[in-house]
Amino acid sequence: MKIFARIVIILVCLAAIPVTAVATAAFKQRFADGPNRVFSGGPLEAGELYSGPEPDWSFVNAIPTIEMQLLNPTTSRRIWTVEYDNRLFVWSGYMNSFVGRLWKSWPGQAEDDGRAILRIDGVRYERELQRIHSDPDLAGITAAISDKYPSRTSPATVESGDIWLFEAAPR
Amino acid sequence: MISGDQAMKYFYVGIGVALILTVLAVLFVPGVDDQVELIFQRYLGRAAS
Repeated sequence: MKIFARIVIILVCLAAIPVTAVATAAFKQRFADGPNRVFSGGPLEAGELYSGPEPDWSFVNAIPTIEMQLLNPTTSRRIWTVEYDNRLFVWSGYMNSFVGRLWKSWPGQAEDDGRAILRIDGVRYERELQRIHSDPDLAGITAAISDKYPSRTSPATVESGDIWLFEAAPR
Repeated sequence: MISGDQAMKYFYVGIGVALILTVLAVLFVPGVDDQVELIFQRYLGRAAS
Protein backbone atom coordinates (compact mmCIF):
# COMPACT_ATOMS: atom_id res chain seq x y z
CA MET A 1 0.00 0.00 0.00
CA LYS A 2 2.83 2.36 0.84
CA ILE A 3 4.49 1.65 -2.50
CA PHE A 4 1.22 2.36 -4.33
CA ALA A 5 0.83 5.67 -2.47
CA ARG A 6 4.38 6.64 -3.34
CA ILE A 7 3.84 5.84 -7.01
CA VAL A 8 0.77 8.08 -7.02
CA ILE A 9 2.71 10.88 -5.29
CA ILE A 10 5.55 10.57 -7.80
CA LEU A 11 3.15 10.71 -10.75
CA VAL A 12 1.35 13.76 -9.32
CA CYS A 13 4.66 15.51 -8.68
CA LEU A 14 5.88 14.79 -12.21
CA ALA A 15 2.58 16.03 -13.66
CA ALA A 16 3.00 19.23 -11.68
CA ILE A 17 5.94 20.24 -13.88
CA PRO A 18 4.01 20.65 -17.19
CA VAL A 19 1.00 22.03 -15.31
CA THR A 20 3.26 24.66 -13.75
CA ALA A 21 4.77 25.48 -17.14
CA VAL A 22 1.32 26.00 -18.69
CA ALA A 23 0.03 28.04 -15.74
CA THR A 24 3.14 30.23 -15.77
CA ALA A 25 2.91 30.82 -19.52
CA ALA A 26 -0.79 31.74 -19.17
CA PHE A 27 0.04 34.11 -16.29
CA LYS A 28 2.87 35.73 -18.25
CA GLN A 29 0.64 36.28 -21.29
CA ARG A 30 -1.77 38.37 -19.20
CA PHE A 31 0.91 41.07 -19.04
CA ALA A 32 1.67 41.00 -22.76
CA ASP A 33 0.34 43.32 -25.46
CA GLY A 34 -2.39 41.02 -26.71
CA PRO A 35 -2.86 37.26 -26.84
CA ASN A 36 -0.43 34.82 -28.42
CA ARG A 37 -2.10 31.52 -29.32
CA VAL A 38 -4.68 30.27 -26.83
CA PHE A 39 -3.93 32.18 -23.64
CA SER A 40 -5.65 35.50 -22.98
CA GLY A 41 -3.41 38.52 -23.21
CA GLY A 42 -3.32 41.99 -21.77
CA PRO A 43 -4.71 45.19 -23.31
CA LEU A 44 -4.04 45.84 -27.01
CA GLU A 45 -1.65 48.78 -26.94
CA ALA A 46 0.44 48.71 -30.10
CA GLY A 47 -0.90 49.73 -33.47
CA GLU A 48 -2.54 52.76 -34.99
CA LEU A 49 -6.04 53.52 -33.70
CA TYR A 50 -8.29 53.68 -36.76
CA SER A 51 -10.41 56.75 -37.33
CA GLY A 52 -12.39 57.53 -40.43
CA PRO A 53 -15.26 56.11 -42.44
CA GLU A 54 -16.48 52.56 -41.93
CA PRO A 55 -13.88 50.27 -43.57
CA ASP A 56 -14.65 47.69 -46.24
CA TRP A 57 -14.54 44.70 -43.89
CA SER A 58 -14.37 42.09 -46.66
CA PHE A 59 -10.60 41.86 -46.12
CA VAL A 60 -11.15 40.00 -42.84
CA ASN A 61 -12.48 36.99 -44.74
CA ALA A 62 -8.89 36.27 -45.76
CA ILE A 63 -7.63 36.53 -42.16
CA PRO A 64 -7.88 33.42 -39.92
CA THR A 65 -8.04 35.19 -36.56
CA ILE A 66 -8.09 38.67 -35.08
CA GLU A 67 -7.25 40.01 -31.62
CA MET A 68 -10.12 41.26 -29.52
CA GLN A 69 -10.04 43.13 -26.22
CA LEU A 70 -12.96 44.19 -24.11
CA LEU A 71 -12.71 47.42 -22.14
CA ASN A 72 -14.13 45.76 -19.05
CA PRO A 73 -12.18 43.63 -18.21
CA THR A 74 -9.20 44.56 -20.36
CA THR A 75 -8.08 41.06 -21.26
CA SER A 76 -7.69 40.13 -24.91
CA ARG A 77 -8.05 36.94 -26.87
CA ARG A 78 -7.54 35.58 -30.39
CA ILE A 79 -10.84 34.97 -32.07
CA TRP A 80 -12.48 33.95 -35.34
CA THR A 81 -14.27 36.58 -37.37
CA VAL A 82 -16.31 36.90 -40.53
CA GLU A 83 -17.71 39.71 -42.63
CA TYR A 84 -21.16 39.62 -44.18
CA ASP A 85 -22.74 42.49 -46.08
CA ASN A 86 -19.94 44.70 -44.73
CA ARG A 87 -20.93 43.88 -41.16
CA LEU A 88 -18.30 42.36 -38.88
CA PHE A 89 -19.10 39.41 -36.61
CA VAL A 90 -17.44 37.46 -33.81
CA TRP A 91 -18.95 34.56 -31.87
CA SER A 92 -18.47 31.99 -29.17
CA GLY A 93 -19.60 28.38 -29.39
CA TYR A 94 -20.51 25.65 -26.92
CA MET A 95 -22.38 28.21 -24.79
CA ASN A 96 -25.10 25.75 -23.80
CA SER A 97 -22.55 23.34 -22.38
CA PHE A 98 -21.21 23.50 -18.84
CA VAL A 99 -17.61 23.42 -20.07
CA GLY A 100 -18.28 26.17 -22.59
CA ARG A 101 -19.78 28.48 -20.00
CA LEU A 102 -16.95 27.74 -17.59
CA TRP A 103 -14.24 28.16 -20.22
CA LYS A 104 -15.56 31.24 -22.01
CA SER A 105 -16.24 34.25 -19.87
CA TRP A 106 -15.89 36.97 -22.49
CA PRO A 107 -19.35 36.54 -24.10
CA GLY A 108 -21.10 37.30 -20.80
CA GLN A 109 -18.75 40.20 -20.17
CA ALA A 110 -19.39 41.53 -23.67
CA GLU A 111 -23.12 41.32 -23.13
CA ASP A 112 -22.72 43.47 -20.00
CA ASP A 113 -20.35 45.98 -21.61
CA GLY A 114 -19.85 45.58 -25.35
CA ARG A 115 -17.11 48.17 -25.80
CA ALA A 116 -14.22 46.42 -27.50
CA ILE A 117 -11.02 47.01 -29.42
CA LEU A 118 -10.19 44.79 -32.36
CA ARG A 119 -6.64 44.62 -33.71
CA ILE A 120 -6.51 43.47 -37.29
CA ASP A 121 -3.27 43.52 -39.28
CA GLY A 122 -1.75 45.78 -36.64
CA VAL A 123 -4.53 48.39 -36.77
CA ARG A 124 -6.85 48.87 -33.79
CA TYR A 125 -10.56 49.48 -34.29
CA GLU A 126 -12.93 50.68 -31.57
CA ARG A 127 -16.18 48.71 -31.81
CA GLU A 128 -19.31 47.91 -29.85
CA LEU A 129 -20.22 44.23 -29.53
CA GLN A 130 -23.96 43.74 -29.88
CA ARG A 131 -25.34 40.26 -29.33
CA ILE A 132 -27.58 38.99 -32.09
CA HIS A 133 -30.39 36.62 -31.15
CA SER A 134 -32.14 36.84 -34.51
CA ASP A 135 -31.51 38.82 -37.65
CA PRO A 136 -32.94 38.90 -41.18
CA ASP A 137 -29.44 38.07 -42.47
CA LEU A 138 -28.80 35.28 -39.96
CA ALA A 139 -28.85 32.50 -42.58
CA GLY A 140 -26.30 34.39 -44.67
CA ILE A 141 -24.10 35.19 -41.69
CA THR A 142 -24.00 31.59 -40.45
CA ALA A 143 -23.37 30.33 -43.98
CA ALA A 144 -20.42 32.72 -44.23
CA ILE A 145 -19.09 31.35 -40.92
CA SER A 146 -19.45 27.74 -42.07
CA ASP A 147 -17.81 28.56 -45.41
CA LYS A 148 -14.79 30.10 -43.71
CA TYR A 149 -14.30 27.74 -40.75
CA PRO A 150 -14.89 24.05 -39.92
CA SER A 151 -17.97 25.02 -37.97
CA ARG A 152 -21.54 23.77 -37.94
CA THR A 153 -23.03 27.16 -37.30
CA SER A 154 -26.65 27.59 -38.30
CA PRO A 155 -29.48 30.00 -37.49
CA ALA A 156 -30.85 27.36 -35.11
CA THR A 157 -27.63 27.17 -33.06
CA VAL A 158 -27.61 30.95 -32.71
CA GLU A 159 -31.29 31.19 -31.80
CA SER A 160 -30.96 28.36 -29.27
CA GLY A 161 -28.08 30.16 -27.55
CA ASP A 162 -25.52 27.46 -28.26
CA ILE A 163 -23.59 30.04 -30.26
CA TRP A 164 -23.45 33.61 -29.01
CA LEU A 165 -23.11 35.78 -32.10
CA PHE A 166 -22.02 39.40 -31.79
CA GLU A 167 -21.91 42.13 -34.37
CA ALA A 168 -18.84 44.32 -33.93
CA ALA A 169 -20.70 47.52 -34.72
CA PRO A 170 -19.25 51.02 -34.92
CA ARG A 171 -18.94 52.66 -31.53
CA MET B 1 22.11 2.39 0.55
CA ILE B 2 19.43 5.03 1.21
CA SER B 3 16.06 4.19 2.67
CA GLY B 4 12.76 4.67 0.87
CA ASP B 5 11.90 7.66 3.03
CA GLN B 6 15.26 9.22 2.29
CA ALA B 7 14.77 8.63 -1.43
CA MET B 8 11.38 10.34 -1.34
CA LYS B 9 12.91 13.27 0.47
CA TYR B 10 15.49 13.68 -2.30
CA PHE B 11 12.71 13.29 -4.86
CA TYR B 12 10.66 16.11 -3.29
CA VAL B 13 13.71 18.37 -3.31
CA GLY B 14 14.33 17.50 -6.95
CA ILE B 15 10.73 18.25 -7.87
CA GLY B 16 10.88 21.55 -6.01
CA VAL B 17 14.02 22.56 -7.89
CA ALA B 18 12.44 21.45 -11.18
CA LEU B 19 9.31 23.53 -10.50
CA ILE B 20 11.36 26.63 -9.70
CA LEU B 21 13.49 26.16 -12.81
CA THR B 22 10.34 25.65 -14.88
CA VAL B 23 8.81 28.90 -13.66
CA LEU B 24 12.04 30.84 -14.21
CA ALA B 25 12.54 29.37 -17.68
CA VAL B 26 8.99 30.19 -18.80
CA LEU B 27 9.18 33.70 -17.38
CA PHE B 28 12.64 34.71 -18.50
CA VAL B 29 14.05 32.48 -21.26
CA PRO B 30 12.90 33.86 -24.64
CA GLY B 31 10.72 31.48 -26.62
CA VAL B 32 10.01 29.00 -23.83
CA ASP B 33 6.58 30.47 -23.09
CA ASP B 34 5.67 30.27 -26.77
CA GLN B 35 6.77 26.63 -26.98
CA VAL B 36 4.74 25.76 -23.88
CA GLU B 37 1.67 27.45 -25.38
CA LEU B 38 2.22 25.71 -28.73
CA ILE B 39 2.38 22.27 -27.07
CA PHE B 40 -0.68 23.09 -24.96
CA GLN B 41 -2.54 24.19 -28.09
CA ARG B 42 -1.72 20.87 -29.80
CA TYR B 43 -3.02 18.90 -26.84
CA LEU B 44 -6.16 21.04 -26.78
CA GLY B 45 -6.65 20.39 -30.48
CA ARG B 46 -6.30 16.63 -29.98
CA ALA B 47 -8.67 16.67 -27.03
CA ALA B 48 -11.25 18.64 -28.99
CA SER B 49 -11.10 16.45 -32.11
